[in-house]
Amino acid sequence: MSPSPVGPYLPLAVTLLVSGLMAAALPVLAHFLGPRRASKVKSESFECGSVSEGSARQRFAVKFYVVALLFIVFDIETVFLYPWAVNFKALGWFGYAEVAAFAATLLVGLAYVWKKGALEWET
Amino acid sequence: MSAEALLFYVFALCTVVSAGAVVLARGPMTSAMSLVATFFFLAGVYALLWAHTIAVLQVLVYAGAIMVLFLFVIMLLSMTEPEPAMKLNVARVVGALSAVGLGAALIASFWKLPTQPMGWAEDSARAAAFGTLKTVGEIIYTRYLLPFESVSLLLLAAIVGAVVVAKPRI
Amino acid sequence: MTLPDLTAADLQPVLPALVLAAGASVLLLSEVFLTTASRSHLALIALGSSVLAGGVALATAFEPAHAVFQGLAVQDPFSSFVTVVVCLGLAGVVLLSADFLKQRQAERGEYYALMLFAAAGMSLLAMSAELITLFINLEVLSVSTYALTAFLRRGPRPAEAAFKYFILGAFSAALFLYGSALLYGVTGTTRLADMVGPLRTAMHTQPWLATCALALVAAGFAFKVAAVPFHMWAPDVYEGAPTPVTALMSAGVKAAAFAGLVRVFLFLGRADPEVVALALSALAVLTMVGGNLLALPQRNVKRMLAYSSIAHAGYLLLGVAALFPHPGTGVLAATPLMLGSPAVNSADAYKGILFYLLAYTVSSVGAFGVLSVLERHADGDGATAWDLDRFSGLAQRRPGWAVAMAAFMLSLAGIPPTVGFMGKLLVFRAAVDSGLLGLAIIGVLASAAGAYYYLRIVVYMFMRPAPAEGVLPEKYWATELALVASAVAVVALGVLPGRVADWLSQSGMFFGTR
Repeated sequence: MSPSPVGPYLPLAVTLLVSGLMAAALPVLAHFLGPRRASKVKSESFECGSVSEGSARQRFAVKFYVVALLFIVFDIETVFLYPWAVNFKALGWFGYAEVAAFAATLLVGLAYVWKKGALEWET
Repeated sequence: MSAEALLFYVFALCTVVSAGAVVLARGPMTSAMSLVATFFFLAGVYALLWAHTIAVLQVLVYAGAIMVLFLFVIMLLSMTEPEPAMKLNVARVVGALSAVGLGAALIASFWKLPTQPMGWAEDSARAAAFGTLKTVGEIIYTRYLLPFESVSLLLLAAIVGAVVVAKPRI
Repeated sequence: MTLPDLTAADLQPVLPALVLAAGASVLLLSEVFLTTASRSHLALIALGSSVLAGGVALATAFEPAHAVFQGLAVQDPFSSFVTVVVCLGLAGVVLLSADFLKQRQAERGEYYALMLFAAAGMSLLAMSAELITLFINLEVLSVSTYALTAFLRRGPRPAEAAFKYFILGAFSAALFLYGSALLYGVTGTTRLADMVGPLRTAMHTQPWLATCALALVAAGFAFKVAAVPFHMWAPDVYEGAPTPVTALMSAGVKAAAFAGLVRVFLFLGRADPEVVALALSALAVLTMVGGNLLALPQRNVKRMLAYSSIAHAGYLLLGVAALFPHPGTGVLAATPLMLGSPAVNSADAYKGILFYLLAYTVSSVGAFGVLSVLERHADGDGATAWDLDRFSGLAQRRPGWAVAMAAFMLSLAGIPPTVGFMGKLLVFRAAVDSGLLGLAIIGVLASAAGAYYYLRIVVYMFMRPAPAEGVLPEKYWATELALVASAVAVVALGVLPGRVADWLSQSGMFFGTR
């Protein structure tokens, strides 16, 4: 049998299917099985017990943007580690040195943003 | 019809529909979420092409990181303002014409496709190895180690650049 | 899997870039961990790294050309010399920045770190011989310069400049990438040396696809070197960026982008020399004429220097076009200016390009240096900060600056006895030798027109009375050091170009040529 490009994804598809069914089944079951007694308090939006105020559609402060940008950069760093992990044994110390140099460069960046306070949510 | 062909049509149709939703949706958040869906279905198409690394990248980087940035931008801007009415101006006409032109060119290229599948696409063993994380990793970490290390320089410059540009006071 | 056999000798070509990157890392860490009141050590670290990197590049510049990293990069005198020029320009720019930032209370490690990253990218770009490597290094230098443009955001103008630079830069990167993808599709390889043969075949079998690919790659580079008609971003960006950053753009970025352009088209041009030479000649004519004509009416000196930078890209493009034989076909053959059958001596053309890069680097760093001390930050980003009147009577107020500026202006105009004249002489001679007499004549006429706006500054400095309120404040040690060094270089290399020019005409200058 010829290999199929989607073969390795079969377990993923099963997981997706099961979780999708589960997600669909729970509300449906709750709809049919649960008692329904509507009241004014219940129809308000729930916010950890405190009374909600204002619109949910608030503007975010621009400071979060830095965090999003840095997230992308370090996400891309992580992406480069996957192909290395798959070939870890074959690449041996050579690959280790390469990735160490790569990660060390970004470690400088991490130390910089950390100390710079770019990751602080408060300021 | 084989299972792959069936899956391809499912993914392709879903990609087109969700891409259409990106353009046609009224709310920016709906557009962004449709874009996430487009990325996922596109990743499925890549997987069908044996391009497993690209498929993973599509989900991790595009649907994960870059969409987060898109959502941030949408949240940064106020969403309560009324939408501008659709008006016909030169930019829209030119945009529509070029979209139609590109579509026509792509459709026309179907007739220029070679009738025989490309040589190595029939070699299933080679196709199966092509584009996996393992193969790509082998190439990146042996042949392309210079650009790989340059990428770390690029990312570091991008980190510093992001902080310099986005922090109000540095 | 076979692991590449890396030795210390393989790392040696990238040593200048490593030195620059290490310097940048030290700067970043000292910025956050060493928070002292005085910050003059930052400029010193940057200066030390650039001098060290330049020295390392100079020490290896006489090695024979060879491929490194499995052909992804090459080490040849050409790449080493470009690195030396870049480090020279960087050292000058760092000196200018020291005073410029101190005056504005903006001395930050990030600023110098980004400059060093940009320089590392430039050094690596000059030696890249493979499209992916080339693109990533091009992006290293671009991303750093985008951020530097936005470094001092006081007022809308710098923000606009940075945004414009980023958007158009990303657009040009996309063009380059599209062209690279098409080239890979056509030839099945990304290594420039392996690409020549398949591309030559493809020029016959798929002429449209191959030509489109080449045109897209050329357009990407034309954006970076600001060649007409891809120059629109340059005046606004040059004007909006902090003046030392503008100096880096005109000196370092231009040199590195030209190195990349020469590297790519010397390989790919072999596939169809006539088409490539014709395209480069057309770009050269447009850029020489357009840059000079647009600079003529400028009263804003910073904008004027931006257009002048475009014009100089034109002369350099003429030098690049001279690398190809012009066998007397095509459009120019119809003119009586074409010579019969020219023999290209590419050593002369390399000499012209590289000497011109050196000449333009020292002259423009000096010119922007004088500009950076004359602009008062109190004027903010108002256009008057760089008005021609700023130079009125400078000879009475600061004779040293005026003499140095006069030397830079003469050099940019190409008037002897300056390095700019020698550069133009070498480029035009190489152009004539390769059969581009018509283009050389256009170049001479264009630079004659350009002399008007350069000499106008000299006239203002020496023949206009100084304005009454002309108070020129404190001393600028670092800037004056840079000014003296570049002025000496401008004159010395103009009078005695011998040693450097001889070195540049050595054989085996460029990997892949004899």
